[in-house]
Order: sequence, then C-alpha cells, then structure tokens
Amino acid sequence: MRRADGELILLWTLPVVGLIWLSAFLLFPGFVHPMSPAMSAEEVAAFYRDPENLPRIRYSMIVFNWFAVGLIPMLALIVLQIRRMAHRTPIFSYAIMACAAGGPTIFLMANLFWLTAAFRPERDPQQTLMFNDLAWVTFSSQVGFLIAQSVILALAIYLDRQERPVFRPWVAHFNLLVAVVLIPAAFVGLALEGPIAWDGLLSFWVRNTAIGLWIVVMGVVLGQAITRQRANDEAMTT
Amino acid sequence: MSAATTGAAPEVPSGSLLRKIVWHWRYDEKRELWIGWWTLVVFYNLYGLLFFVIARTQPPPKPSLTAPEIVQWFHDRHYGLLYGYAIVSIVGGATAIMNATLAYTMRRMSVSRAFAYSYLVIYALATLPGMLIMGVACTVGAMRPDRNPALMSWLYDFAFLSFEGTMGVFLIGSLVWMVAVLLDRNRVFPKWFGYLNLCNALTEVVVAPAWIFKRGVFAWDGGIAWWTNMAVFVTYTTVFLTLLRKMILREDFGTGPLPELQSDHPPEPGTREAA
Repeated sequence: MRRADGELILLWTLPVVGLIWLSAFLLFPGFVHPMSPAMSAEEVAAFYRDPENLPRIRYSMIVFNWFAVGLIPMLALIVLQIRRMAHRTPIFSYAIMACAAGGPTIFLMANLFWLTAAFRPERDPQQTLMFNDLAWVTFSSQVGFLIAQSVILALAIYLDRQERPVFRPWVAHFNLLVAVVLIPAAFVGLALEGPIAWDGLLSFWVRNTAIGLWIVVMGVVLGQAITRQRANDEAMTT
Repeated sequence: MSAATTGAAPEVPSGSLLRKIVWHWRYDEKRELWIGWWTLVVFYNLYGLLFFVIARTQPPPKPSLTAPEIVQWFHDRHYGLLYGYAIVSIVGGATAIMNATLAYTMRRMSVSRAFAYSYLVIYALATLPGMLIMGVACTVGAMRPDRNPALMSWLYDFAFLSFEGTMGVFLIGSLVWMVAVLLDRNRVFPKWFGYLNLCNALTEVVVAPAWIFKRGVFAWDGGIAWWTNMAVFVTYTTVFLTLLRKMILREDFGTGPLPELQSDHPPEPGTREAA
C-alpha cells in the first residue's frame, strides 16, 4: 500500500459524495423549483406543513447534515498538491486548509436552520419564515470561502513556476471564472424576485451550477495529478 | 514546496505602479508573503469602511433599544446593511490567506509547528461567529422591514451578541501567538509584542459582561466592552501589520534567526542570491 493509494481511495469518495449530494438536492422540494423569497409567511408555513413536503425536507436535510463535510477530503488532496508546487512558503496550502473549514460550516449552519424550521411546522408562520430566511440567506449569500478558495488556488497555480507545473494554467483561469460567477449570490438580500433573488438565475442556477462544475473539473484534474504523481513515485522506487 | 531558482532578476522598474507590481509578481521571491500582507492591509481598511461607514453597525447601537426602535434601526440603514454585508460576504474568505500569513510567522519561529496549526484553525473558525453570522442576521433583518418586531429584536441581538460576544477564539488565538513569540529564538518578533498579545487577549475577558448587561460600561456598546477594546484592537492590528512588514523584509527563507534589517528598503534583488 503506497501513500498515493490512500489518496486514490479518498478521491473515489468524491463521485460517491457527489451522487449523494445530487440525490439530496433533488429530494429537497425547496430546490427543484427553488422557493421564492416573495412567498408570504403563510405560504412558507404551508410549504413546511404540507404532508407531501415535510418528510422530504427532513430526509434531504438529514442527508446533507451527514455529507456536508464530505468534500473536505477533496480539499485536503488539493492542499497536498499545492505543497508540491514550486512555492517558497506554505501560505497557500495553509489558506486552503482555512477555507476547507469555513465553507462546509456555513452549509451546515444553513442546514440547521432548515431542519429547525421543519422540526415544528405548526410554529407561528412568522417564525417559520424567519428560519427559512436565515437558511436561504446563509446558503446563498455566504460565498466568501468558495470565492477565496478559487482565487487562492488560482494564485497558487500561477505562481507554480516549474518545468511541469502540478496543474495547467487553464485550471487557474477556470477557478477565477468560478469565483466571478459566485459574486452576484452575495447580494440576495436586495431582491425578492429577479436574477439576484435567492431563487433567481444568478443566485441559484448559475451559482449552484458553477459549484457543481467546480467539483467535477477539480475532481478530474486532481485525479490526473495524483495518477501522475503515483507513476513518478513508482518510477523512482524501481 | 520546492524552492524555485530564478537566477539574477532584472532591476525593479521605476515609474508606474503597474510595472512595479508586474516585476514583483515575476521576480520577487517574497511575493507570497507580500500577497498576504497586502491582503491584510486592504482587508482591514475595507473592514473599517464597511462596518463604520456603509453598514453603520459600528460603533454599535444600544442593546437597550425597544422592539419598535429596533425596527426603525433596521429601516434607517436598509441599503447600507444589504450592500455592506453583501460585500463582507464576498471578501470574508480573504481571512483565510490573512490567517495563513500570520500562521507562517509562527512557522518561521524556532517553535513547534503546533503553534502555527493551532492559530490557523482557531482563526479559521473565528470568521464565522465573529463576523459572518452578523452579516446573515443583519441581511435577514433588513430584507423584510415588515417582519414581526419581536423577531427583528431577536435578529438584532443575534447579530451584535455573536459579533461582540465571540471571545474564546480571539482569546486563545492571541495567547497561542503570545507563547510562540516569547519562546521563539529566531527573533521573528520583538518580545514586547508577545505581551501586546496578552493585552488583546484580556479585552476578550472584559467583554464577557456584554452577555449580561444591557446598559453601562460593560454593555456591548459600553466604554469598556467596546471603546477600550476597539482602541486595543486598532493598536494591536497596526503594530502587527508594521512588525509583519519588517519580518517580510528580513525574511531569508532559512531556519535560523532572522537577519536584522539594514535599512527600511528591501535588499537589492540579485545581491540576495549571494547571501
């Protein structure tokens, strides 16, 4: 068992976690047709009280609670690849580690608000509305760690000046692009409808597609980097 | 982390700022540290602007406001809160590279790596209760001005208590830095900075009564819990930014004591290679 074998096992947890995330996403009735922030308190309360919705809300959010941190091994693998880059300090790998703790914690907080709203759907509709707002605003607007993660990774790749850099420059360009399209979601508080609202084109569809695409693309290039590293290690030992 | 050998670099260009930045990006071996330092400087200035001028949540309002007064408070700064905390959400992650840079100062010391790692984890955690929760609570409060006043009052308390009342992370974080500075034999920071960390840690002790009092010097807007703390925090931040800049200028990427600074200007590129 080589070190890289363990890394490959961690990497292969990624498609599994991705599939679980996708299933939970489809299961939560508030995501498939994203809930509108323009809904009244009574409508939001009715959404949680609906006997069709309630179990799906609870089960999907319980699954997210289990697997929200499921991407941390992937970020740890990225940290290891950054350590192989031609840098003078470990600052970039430290910074990605700091982001790895922040992003999932924010998702977990949103998850707790959703689960709390669903725990007593008979609550005063105003209270259910507030927990629902807290969940959606936390989930949508808190893009800071995701943006930082992409920007730091891009900087690390640009400054990886060696003959065979760990990641190719397009991976850095891609990360910067992802960081840019995440920005509008921070403004969800400003609109109850339209592209910026939390169910809107920019804040919901573009943002979440970008996150999904980032996971897929980074999973693939990470797999390539680890495989290459593994081949190098084998060539060195034989 | 393998060291890149760049060979002799050309002279720093005079003239436009952009050309200087390009030069540093290409040839400056300390660019990672400078990226961290500039992020710290820009972030703290922006932080002041966002919290004091745009969102106007600092200096903090009174904890003793009644529910209708709180509704009015949210109403008065509706767009400030929404735009201000949107920007906070976008740049909030910059704390990752800032804390990584500060953790690196401990890594450069002659102390165990446990200090750098502890500091990094503690401060990575701190961003959430210490800043981002306030942004979420203020955004939720501002986005529906017609919300039930009792719930607005809860959001207001949640915002300010999480912001002012998140103490332990800064308390333990400062103490970790203090012990590292005092134990260090690489002269990364002067010993007195270790004791300044103790001052910062003590401000987190005296803020605890803000969880209990709604009026007076110990309340979250009070003379001790806020004004004294802010004075210490601003001094502390200014001092460590200055010391960090000196440290970067002195950095030789070795493992022994940092060389003393000859002048306040970075050594000429090229001459450093021979050292």
